[in-house]
Amino acid sequence: MSIITVEHVARIEGHGTIHVELEGSTVKDVHMEIVEPARFFEPMVVGRKFDEVSLVTSRICGICSPNHAVTSLKAIEDALGIQVSERTKLLRKLLVYGSYLQNHATHLYIFSAPDFLGLPSVFPLAETHPDVLERALKIKKAGNELCTLVGGRPVHPVTAVVGGFTHEPGADELEAFRDRLLALVDDAVVTAQLFDSFDVPEFSSSCEMLALADDEEYAVYDGNTAALEAGWNRPVQEYRAFIDEQVVGHSNAKHSTSDGRSFMTGAIARVNLSSKQLMPRAAQALASLSTGAVGKNTFLNNVCQAIELIDACERCAVYCDRLITEGGTSAPVEYEVKAGFGVGATEAPRGTVYHSYTLDDDGFVVSGDVITPTAQNLGNLDADMRAFAPTVAGLPHDEFILQVEELVRAYDLCLSCSVH
Amino acid sequence: MAPRVVVVGLASDFGCQVQITNIEDHLLEMLGVIDLGYWQLASSGHMPAEYDIAVVEGAVTTVEHIELLKRLRETASVVMTIGTCAHTGGIPALANRCDLDAAYSAVYGEGSDVARGRCAPEPVHSVIDVDYQVPGCPIDMDEFLAVLSKALQGLADPLPGDPMCAVCKTKENVCLLDRGEICLGLVTRTGCGAKCPSLGRPCTGCRGLAPDANFDAARKVLASKGFDPNELDRRFDLYNAVREGVR
Repeated sequence: MSIITVEHVARIEGHGTIHVELEGSTVKDVHMEIVEPARFFEPMVVGRKFDEVSLVTSRICGICSPNHAVTSLKAIEDALGIQVSERTKLLRKLLVYGSYLQNHATHLYIFSAPDFLGLPSVFPLAETHPDVLERALKIKKAGNELCTLVGGRPVHPVTAVVGGFTHEPGADELEAFRDRLLALVDDAVVTAQLFDSFDVPEFSSSCEMLALADDEEYAVYDGNTAALEAGWNRPVQEYRAFIDEQVVGHSNAKHSTSDGRSFMTGAIARVNLSSKQLMPRAAQALASLSTGAVGKNTFLNNVCQAIELIDACERCAVYCDRLITEGGTSAPVEYEVKAGFGVGATEAPRGTVYHSYTLDDDGFVVSGDVITPTAQNLGNLDADMRAFAPTVAGLPHDEFILQVEELVRAYDLCLSCSVH
Repeated sequence: MAPRVVVVGLASDFGCQVQITNIEDHLLEMLGVIDLGYWQLASSGHMPAEYDIAVVEGAVTTVEHIELLKRLRETASVVMTIGTCAHTGGIPALANRCDLDAAYSAVYGEGSDVARGRCAPEPVHSVIDVDYQVPGCPIDMDEFLAVLSKALQGLADPLPGDPMCAVCKTKENVCLLDRGEICLGLVTRTGCGAKCPSLGRPCTGCRGLAPDANFDAARKVLASKGFDPNELDRRFDLYNAVREGVR
């Protein structure tokens, strides 16, 4: 028996090791070990005041910090019975989409593309494909600047607080950004074409898929959790009843199941559940994919992220317009501090993120609970690797490892999130 | 030959490394003057045996972190930390306020054997000597580039010592204490251009304690504005749970 370990897998966020046990060319076992040390955000948030919670939980992740900030604010507002204005919701959605542009561009171009171009990193592209690198940085930069426009900086938004915003962009800034987003649609379309042109293995995961779904629009901020195969649709307040977390021996991150099955959350789940609500150019790109429907080939999570880039540019341009024309205020609403329990959920770039908190009479946190997308996906990644690795075990060693790593990277893992 | 730089992450949210990738406009220029020898976040490949500058993000929370830092210090001529986690222990150091055994049980269940090898969180300078520091949660890209270029030229870069209020006043911001919000600018190290108060949000102390700060006087200011003076200490803990000699 030979054992292969790929320690500290490169181009993923955080520290993880792939562990493969081979007998000849038969795969006996394969799984992902999460060596990232436990971080204890849930106990750390206990005793902090309600208005400090988003500052702490935003630090779960430097990549999707706007999502953790917004999700924890929603949970605190749920606990305190606060309704925020429509304008606040629009600005928060821009923050979420800013992180989509930033995250998806980083994941697709900096983390994933080198696999398909046979490169160790994105940097050699500066010599060989300067146009590709330029496009990557352009989209990523737009995401950062959208987060900066609304939140004050790319990482860890400053202005988003309980009940609203402490500052919002002016109409001229929104107008300029809208034009920039509209000009970026073509770059996003080319991105989808590029990733559609990369060969990915034919593979179908046996998993369930979960994401937020909403009658109003492509769900990232509001909505219930929906299950693609089981067909149910349940309020996020019940998340503890439809997601079970388990401690597994080989990972500092927990695994999750729903109805006893591993499941996937993320761009591929959202596109499957909400494809009818995509904006026109995004819908067109989805319809013209060479692979046809994305189905449950988890390798196609990449191309789904590219589709979402198109959607994000089109949709955020509309949001900018609405903010310019609709008026209203995003100033924090008045509220009373009281005891309560609240749940918040949003779609982070990598999937649904849930936060819940219990507050005492003075607004101090008594208990907190967070389930990140990667913690939900890790069990399914192991299941996918067990199904996929035997199909490529006959390949030369390096190629075999690369294919398994490609599967891992398609999940766009965030391991530091997973051990929050 | 261009100096070889390695970037390593300890316990953190990777936000400061993400900020480095956010230097889009200058990223390629930066790569022109340094040899980026290792950066796990962005590239496959192994840590080289020889390097000149080690850039460290994150707080020290495991025995492996301590060993890694000692190795970095022995090899690199310059060690530079980025971000609050490395500088003060930051948010990870809030775990010092928790009972870690109880925390393991709360997160993983009783008698669980995962996640061992953890030690009490510390800033990097508690373990090894540090030559340059870029504070802040997250770091500011321009400040990072400025400190890196000083490190490359061997120039001194002392951190500013005065509290943030001094800079906030020059921005002509309305004092947030007068608007009924507890702002920690009274005691927090400046250098961020009073970013948060300028956007209407009180300072939360992410750049650490200003050496020139007068905590006693700051408590009195809070009391005079009608706040509980102990809130200064409680709130300042957020990013500064391992500070010593303040009280």
